[in-house]
Amino acid sequence: MKAVPFVAVILVMLIAGPPFLASYWVGLLTQMLIFALLAMSLDVLLGYTGLPSLGHAGFFGVAAYAVAVLSTTYHAGFWTCVMSGILIGTLLSTLLGLLVSHVRDVYFLMITLASGMVLWGLSYRWIPVTGGDNGISGIPRLDAHAGLPFAGPVAFYYVTLLVFVVSASLLALLVSSPFGFTLRGIRENELRMKSLGFNTWLHCWVSYIIAGAFASVSGVVWAYYNGFVSPTYLDLTASSELFLMVTLGGPGTLVGPVIGAGAIVLLKNVISAYTQRWPLILGTFYIITMFGAPQGLWNLGRRRRASS
Amino acid sequence: MKIADRPIADRRCFAPRRSVFVVVLLVAAGNVIVGQRPEALPIKIGFIAPLSGPNAQNGRDILNGFLLYLQEIGSGVDGRRIDVIIEDDEAIPAVGLTKTRKLVERDKVHLMAGALLSSTGYALAPYIDAMRIPMLYPVVSADDLTQRRRSKWIVRTGYSGSQPNHAFGEYAYHTLGLKKVATIALDYAFGWESVGGFQRTFEAEGGLVAQKIWCPVFVHDFAPYLAQIPRDVDAVYALFLGRSALQFMRQYQEFGLKQRVRLIGAGTTTDEHVLPFMGDEALGVVTALHYTAALDTPANRKFVAAYRARYNRVPSYYSESMYTGAKWLVTAVEVVHGNVEDSATLVDALRHVKLTDAPRGPLELDDYGNPIENVYIRRVERVNGQLQNTVIETIPRVSQFWKYNPADYLKQPLYARR
Amino acid sequence: METSSACLVLEGVSRHFGGLKAVDNVNLTLQPGERHALIGPNGAGKTTLFNVISGELRADAGTITLNGADVTRLAAHQRAARGIARTFQITKLFPNLTVIENMLVACEALDRRRFTMHRPLSSCADLVERATNLLDEYRLSPFRRELARNLSYGDQRKLEVALSMAGRPRVLLLDEPMAGLSSGERDVMQALLRQLDPSIAVLLIEHDIDVAFGFAERITVLYQGRVLTEGPKEMVSANRSVQESYLGLLVE
Repeated sequence: MKAVPFVAVILVMLIAGPPFLASYWVGLLTQMLIFALLAMSLDVLLGYTGLPSLGHAGFFGVAAYAVAVLSTTYHAGFWTCVMSGILIGTLLSTLLGLLVSHVRDVYFLMITLASGMVLWGLSYRWIPVTGGDNGISGIPRLDAHAGLPFAGPVAFYYVTLLVFVVSASLLALLVSSPFGFTLRGIRENELRMKSLGFNTWLHCWVSYIIAGAFASVSGVVWAYYNGFVSPTYLDLTASSELFLMVTLGGPGTLVGPVIGAGAIVLLKNVISAYTQRWPLILGTFYIITMFGAPQGLWNLGRRRRASS
Repeated sequence: MKIADRPIADRRCFAPRRSVFVVVLLVAAGNVIVGQRPEALPIKIGFIAPLSGPNAQNGRDILNGFLLYLQEIGSGVDGRRIDVIIEDDEAIPAVGLTKTRKLVERDKVHLMAGALLSSTGYALAPYIDAMRIPMLYPVVSADDLTQRRRSKWIVRTGYSGSQPNHAFGEYAYHTLGLKKVATIALDYAFGWESVGGFQRTFEAEGGLVAQKIWCPVFVHDFAPYLAQIPRDVDAVYALFLGRSALQFMRQYQEFGLKQRVRLIGAGTTTDEHVLPFMGDEALGVVTALHYTAALDTPANRKFVAAYRARYNRVPSYYSESMYTGAKWLVTAVEVVHGNVEDSATLVDALRHVKLTDAPRGPLELDDYGNPIENVYIRRVERVNGQLQNTVIETIPRVSQFWKYNPADYLKQPLYARR
Repeated sequence: METSSACLVLEGVSRHFGGLKAVDNVNLTLQPGERHALIGPNGAGKTTLFNVISGELRADAGTITLNGADVTRLAAHQRAARGIARTFQITKLFPNLTVIENMLVACEALDRRRFTMHRPLSSCADLVERATNLLDEYRLSPFRRELARNLSYGDQRKLEVALSMAGRPRVLLLDEPMAGLSSGERDVMQALLRQLDPSIAVLLIEHDIDVAFGFAERITVLYQGRVLTEGPKEMVSANRSVQESYLGLLVE
């Protein structure tokens, strides 16, 4: 509940700000929102259920690829692309979830890592469909494809903001719901959950599906934003960067991953404009945060508020 | 704040330090009042290439060629200074796109140039099209960029991957007298398209590609792949670049294959970005490309000498690519009298440039936006103690469609791994 | 022995770890409302037997019957749904949830709403009421907003028992609820245990002989995985001196 004023201020800024910003910054904000949504979806797994997934970018990528393939090769309509993207990503997380929900901890890490690599390999090698290394370009622009009356980066930003706000509200409701609390229970003590009568496997599976579904939503938006997909969006680097967004911002908070995603997107784009040594700076930033705020940036603020 | 230093602004405004906003406004006012044309502002060119990571050397070569040409022309074009804003794309398409966004939307460049990998080339295309910013690809060789997936705003001055290999396939069959060949290449689009081009013309003439071996892009050891090469072929066609080229050459010799099976390949395998680091294992290898530093023409001799003087190394085809690319850009900017703000006219001018005195020889674009240029068949020789790609045959005015009809050609699928 | 009305029946239950017979051919019957203590030296297999009953471990042999139904092949959560609840020797709470949240999670365990996603848990008034009542009952109400990990050890043990009561079990397995408590806290805990619903069957593991004999009517003595003696406490008590002198098992 302490997050409410903070979230409200940010939201007002997100709604009112963009018309006054240059298109570059609007684009950057759009990216932040897309990755914030993706990071929140991972937070359901990592922060709430306690399942450290290292293959989460896979769902993001698969959904983006679905949009790309359908819109370019098959010239499918807007809603077909959007619904298929979300559906295919969700279906995939349903199937993979059957497999991974049985294992925990480092085994979960490894099996999700492996599944992520398989998806990457597929995007890289299934050339007739994915274009391999070259990726797929020529995804129609959102306004043209969806028949929107407005074009340009600001319009796209508001569409993204709408998707983000709706998804974030749903996720916030989810984590505070009875089901959301069962996930926290599993994170805290799975053995106790079982002896209380929870079929924890089933709960993990459902949370994996939900996380996959929201990752797919962000993947669909990303496909339209970028106009292009390539294997780099679902490789290990992408997944681990996502992992960092969540851990950096504060897992199990939803707001934290949003901050983490915003900070990383901003740092990556802004620092890299000034120096080629930006990975070094980014790395230093990670390390300082890990030492200074091991529970993440957002929890640092919260702990301070709690102790005062 | 360069703008504020200009005397025009100073005359109009005595206290410009209040805020940048005021300064910019007054400069704008000054321009109007004095009637100064906007052309006096610098022409901004955004440049991206991999300047870190495994392809950094190729990226540096491209940049060096670019800077060398700009140094040669000195003051600028039509009284407008040329500002180059350089970004590193790390050989990652996503990063390339991010950096291009920054250059276009934040730095407001008039023109873009650069990119190395095909994947980056494809990644940028939709964005470039959407933003209507002319962009020059000096190296990106993905066939489809000028074939089935053309872009109005992208001009390619390099080559398409299969282009020199079409010529080379025929040459290998008729002149080298090869009948049966195995190929070994990096497993990605550039490899598939080069091998595909070679195979098409080689087999059309009656030859046979007996086996195609693909190595992962980040291959560390060639032994398992070399072991697959059949012993009864006339030659092995190899496509590698950078570190993989160096290691392949060494292991090919260590395996005792060099004495037994003749080695030919794509131009990058013995390109000057790796050739100085090779030894006798490279001697006699025959490859095809649209450039070699050993090309004996006045334009190339001048370029090689200038490049050696400035960078103390022999130029690679990557170096030449953006030297010629810069020449191409400047020529087009001169055609539009420096009016780079009109991007539609500029891209039109870019499409109609013809160079006769580029280091690589004459080049102009076909109707699909790919250069028609000479392809050189080169053999590695040692001259004055140094390895070089000696031209043994020049195949003039090669198009990306070789001798085929473009319309028929485009009905066929893109070369793939198969 | 009348087994028809019994709520928990173990027949020939065994569990081996490699060559070690941790639980060996154990027979045990619990009647509704029965207070039963399980005693024996360290390593006698008491906790293993608990794990086999609650379903964390599968029995290698024998059958377990709960309220007339065979549950031998059922998983832990399925047995919980059929009325078994347990506490753990080493406290197993949800340390980073508040006390009330701990209780709410326990209360929704056997409720269909555990899969509800469209409304906050805090809006389920009846669950909140039940959780609050349980906290009152276990005198944990003052700490309802505290994180469980910030509770004193004594309060954590109370919460441990309270969690297991949330699902309205028919059979309650208590694994050393007094372990590590101060004497004052032990009195409180003993008082709480005496107030447990008289209709549920309780099986208690306890090291303190006086506590065990004070709480239970029937006693089972476990030694090296086998039942050494089983019966009313007076009977076992009569054997007590013999066991002490022969085995020293009750002296720890």
